[in-house]
Amino acid sequence: MDSTPSWNVDRPYLTGRFHQEINSASGLCESKGFSMESFSPGLDTPIACYDALLQELIVIDDLLSCLVGIEGRYVSIKRVRGNEDCISFQIDASMDLALQESAKRIFPLCESYLLVYQFVESRSQFKAGLVNHAFAAALRALLLDYQAMVAQLEHQFRLGRLSIQGLWFYCQPMMGSMQALSIVIKKASAKSIVGSALLNLLQSQAKAMAGDHVVRSLLEKMIQSASSAYLVILERWVYEGVIDDPHGEFFIAEDKSLQKESLSQDYDAKYWRQRYSLKDEIPSFLASAAETILTTGKYLNVMRECGHTIQVPMSENTKLMSSGSSHHYLECIKAAYEFSSSELLNLIKEKYDLMGKLRSIKHYLLLDQGDFLVHFMDIARDELIKRPDEISVEKLQSLLELALRTTAAAADPFHEDLTCCVERTTLLKRLSTLKDLKFSGTVSEKDDVDEPVNITGMDTYSLSYKVQWPLSLVISRKALTKYQLIFHFLFHCKHVNRQLCEAWQIHQGIRALNMKGTAVSVSSLLCRSMLKFINSLLHYLTFEVLEPNWHVMHNRLLGAKSIDEVIQYHDFFLDKCLRECLLLSPVLLMKMEKLKSICLQYAAVTQWLITSSIDIPKTDAQSNTSHETKKSKPIKRRNPSQKLKLASEDRSLVEPILTFEKDFTSQLRSLRPILSSSAQAEPYLTHLAQLILGVGRDQ
Amino acid sequence: MPREIITLQVGQCGNQIGMEFWKQLCLEHGISKDGILEDFATQGGDRKDVFFYQADDQHYIPRALLMDLEPRVINGIQTGDYRNLFNHENLFMSKEGGGAGNNWASGYHQGKSVEEDLMDMIDREADGSDSLEGFVLCHSIAGGTGSGMGSYLLETLNDRYSKKLVQTYSVFPNQNEISDVVVQPYNSLLTLKRLTLNADCVVVLDNTALNRIAVERLHIANPSVSQTNSLVSTVMSASTTTLRYPGYMNNDLVGLLASLIPTPRCHFLMTGYTPLTVERQANMIRKTTVLDVMRRLLQTKNIMVSSNARTKEASQAKYISILNIIQGEVDPTQVHDSLQRIRERKLVNFIEWGPASIQVALSRKSPYVQTAHRVSGLMLASYTGIRHLFSKCLSQYSLLRKRQAFLDKYRSFPLFDDNDLSEFDESREIIESLVDEYKACESPDYIKWGMEDPDHILTGEGNATGSVDPSLAI
Repeated sequence: MDSTPSWNVDRPYLTGRFHQEINSASGLCESKGFSMESFSPGLDTPIACYDALLQELIVIDDLLSCLVGIEGRYVSIKRVRGNEDCISFQIDASMDLALQESAKRIFPLCESYLLVYQFVESRSQFKAGLVNHAFAAALRALLLDYQAMVAQLEHQFRLGRLSIQGLWFYCQPMMGSMQALSIVIKKASAKSIVGSALLNLLQSQAKAMAGDHVVRSLLEKMIQSASSAYLVILERWVYEGVIDDPHGEFFIAEDKSLQKESLSQDYDAKYWRQRYSLKDEIPSFLASAAETILTTGKYLNVMRECGHTIQVPMSENTKLMSSGSSHHYLECIKAAYEFSSSELLNLIKEKYDLMGKLRSIKHYLLLDQGDFLVHFMDIARDELIKRPDEISVEKLQSLLELALRTTAAAADPFHEDLTCCVERTTLLKRLSTLKDLKFSGTVSEKDDVDEPVNITGMDTYSLSYKVQWPLSLVISRKALTKYQLIFHFLFHCKHVNRQLCEAWQIHQGIRALNMKGTAVSVSSLLCRSMLKFINSLLHYLTFEVLEPNWHVMHNRLLGAKSIDEVIQYHDFFLDKCLRECLLLSPVLLMKMEKLKSICLQYAAVTQWLITSSIDIPKTDAQSNTSHETKKSKPIKRRNPSQKLKLASEDRSLVEPILTFEKDFTSQLRSLRPILSSSAQAEPYLTHLAQLILGVGRDQ
Repeated sequence: MPREIITLQVGQCGNQIGMEFWKQLCLEHGISKDGILEDFATQGGDRKDVFFYQADDQHYIPRALLMDLEPRVINGIQTGDYRNLFNHENLFMSKEGGGAGNNWASGYHQGKSVEEDLMDMIDREADGSDSLEGFVLCHSIAGGTGSGMGSYLLETLNDRYSKKLVQTYSVFPNQNEISDVVVQPYNSLLTLKRLTLNADCVVVLDNTALNRIAVERLHIANPSVSQTNSLVSTVMSASTTTLRYPGYMNNDLVGLLASLIPTPRCHFLMTGYTPLTVERQANMIRKTTVLDVMRRLLQTKNIMVSSNARTKEASQAKYISILNIIQGEVDPTQVHDSLQRIRERKLVNFIEWGPASIQVALSRKSPYVQTAHRVSGLMLASYTGIRHLFSKCLSQYSLLRKRQAFLDKYRSFPLFDDNDLSEFDESREIIESLVDEYKACESPDYIKWGMEDPDHILTGEGNATGSVDPSLAI
């Protein structure tokens, strides 16, 4: 059914293209000197032989044929070669001059008819598209009227009541309309336009002819007929979300290569933005509503893809018509938009429980319910300290599931969607590969994004979350990646915090010994400072960034009117969090990583520091304390003679601690100018500065 | 069931406040008096398994051990409303049933003699948990059982479970009324030594302050024990909210304590709570915003440790660390503004030798407990002013000791035989050094405390803590 059979085109009598062609150049000169040879064969008598009265009758007869596009005996029709729309009428030059002149006045109508007729025939072909079909059909109806008129004129002629003046008189009313139509048609066929372009052409023509009441109403009628087919397409789109457009006339294009699955796999998925898009050519009467129409159908389409056959409730007055000046159809479109938008929003919020999903993601990826992580890090510790390529993701996954089942997460129905992954690279490297995040600053790439040599699972561990269509519209791969980046950062901070807590516990273990003035007391204060730092950082990330921003987003989402708003608010939330979590600022992030690594190094050597600072009991050391000698007392379970070396006695212990401390302090100090200089542009950095540096405390 | 916590309730007071604590937990988690989850308690998101475990029939059993040397209180529990809640294997009463006679030494000695029984119970509970995080001990430091047996338990736990945390809720005696326990200063001193050396964290519940709060804040003329105990249970349950209602931070005990406790020995925490109500007191409902709550938490009248200091000394007291646990419907955007406000108004006097600020933990409130206030807050703070409480204990002890009063009671027990009172001296020394350390914390150069610094290694660039150099402030 792709095209009409070829004979349809091949046989010129079906398309009205049976007239002989002449060269445009020669055609002009020939029309002047009318020669017998050029006339149709079988014509024996020159017209001049007849009486003028007879001549008139012959001419009227010829003209009546010409009016329906058939050559007469003394009037010939020629098409100008190379110019489809140019038709020349030639009249026997020997004819009575007055008659010639009268006949020539009628030729434009004949010409218009021919053009219109040809247009109708050629545009009725399958490939011309629905709008053309509809337009052609309307024209055909008009031509039927016209032909009926010609037939009546012929009848009058047979009755002998028609003079050439009479013919002229009766033709007059048609002239203007046919003329106007032929102008439109010439323009239309010159560019061989289809679909919306044709509608636009008609529209502009109607506007141009605004002064001529008759023509204008005719053109408007044509528009109405022509657009009716278009509106059917539109109707299916805005009411059902289906593009039923075999000829590609509709102003919305579908890109079938973009699959909805790409949303949850491809970081740069374009599905939502580009699966359906507006074409350049939009019917002007819909131009103002084009975006609305696009989204309406898109929404319906999403619901259809979810397996819900949603139909915008239809009734008599929701039928789309572009009749007249009333903007009924715009209201219909608006109603359809509101319906589909609220329906989709409902579907996503209620059936697919968007808020529940987001909350669940917040529990796990933003650590809003961090208890599972505590347990997970307890049980997965041995696995996580391996090198990334030695880690068994399956093992981590089962440990994660165990952790989820046994903590508060168990109550969350979505916790099964959580999966593990181990990246190959660290956070800094990952950020630098995601170009669209604008993770670039003053640092040049070559020296700063070098991978540390011995990264472990602790540096690269990340969570992922299974998101199904249609929620992947909101929580797309890209959004999820942003969540992961934040998680990554939080996770590492938690790791540092845990290590420091362990170090703290080691200090606690020896509190029975008097540590006044020992290396341990220096160390415990350093430990406190580091804990304070990491806790403040975590506090900043969670309570100053994530929680308030989430709160704002949550309220916005509750009031959102459409899925596009939801997507927008959600993306905005993520971008804001990403920025405020310092993830877009390489300089600051690197400082933080440096500080964290100092903390980790310190935590790693604490055990050694503490054990080696416990003095091995010596006999002479005990004698000076009287009450410690009563070793027989059961209460003194610990060796009472154990004591800590004084800092002043053993420099070798104090020095490494002091080195750590010096590093840590200088790093922390170097943060201050960076924070204060950037705080102007990024006000949230003031919060951070206040928290981790205590800036403002002394003011 | 990770990071479980086992609660040990020792002595009359320990069991009473422990009982209140469990009542509160049951309410908050929607667990009935028989340990069965109520039908309405379906909201989830809480962690019951930190403090409870489930029996085969799914009913919840507290991870609690109830110990006493006299049967009265535990018998009361066994016949009371909550008789089916506890695991009966976890109740320990001395066979003699004579109690400790308010004598620390008796409690300690008896504790030692039943060590096997006690440790069996503890081991069994500990084995029943996946990754035990630590122990919580509820006791009073003045009596005999809670202080004596409590002390013994602390030492034993420290030896046996050296990797586990030990937190205590220790009730300090009311100093404003004449106690019927004349040897209270001895008991307190001896217990304090163990609290200093063998506990990771001591939450000080000062009966003096609790009574004051009941009288002044709640307008109860003669507060009963159960009324002050309800204050205690409020504090206890609030201080464990971050463990039971997980949030961003402080989801484990070690994280919670590590951020609060600066040095191994300075692990005594002061608490404050607002808004305070006892049951059926609806007339005191106030507006609660985050700022209101945080501000009130810093007011002395809401603090549950009495300040025994003279004004001059009290003004020098400084906060080492503060954690505010805010529960309820909190607009998270208010938190920063509130902290900012408090900072601007200089409402807190922090130590000068290191970084310090108020930490905030936002926590969910139990959906099953209706409260009139939208927001409530608990403050856990490490505060140097707490040393005055210890000084008071020391001075009371000295008074008694000078007169050699009542020492005979102690001499009859092995720890003090042969008239060996070195245990007292040693305890005093340790408490004195604790007071000294807290005092040193008040000075800006605490870092150099006790350092003989011949080479001035600490005065160089490294200013020991990364503390803020005021000249660098923006």
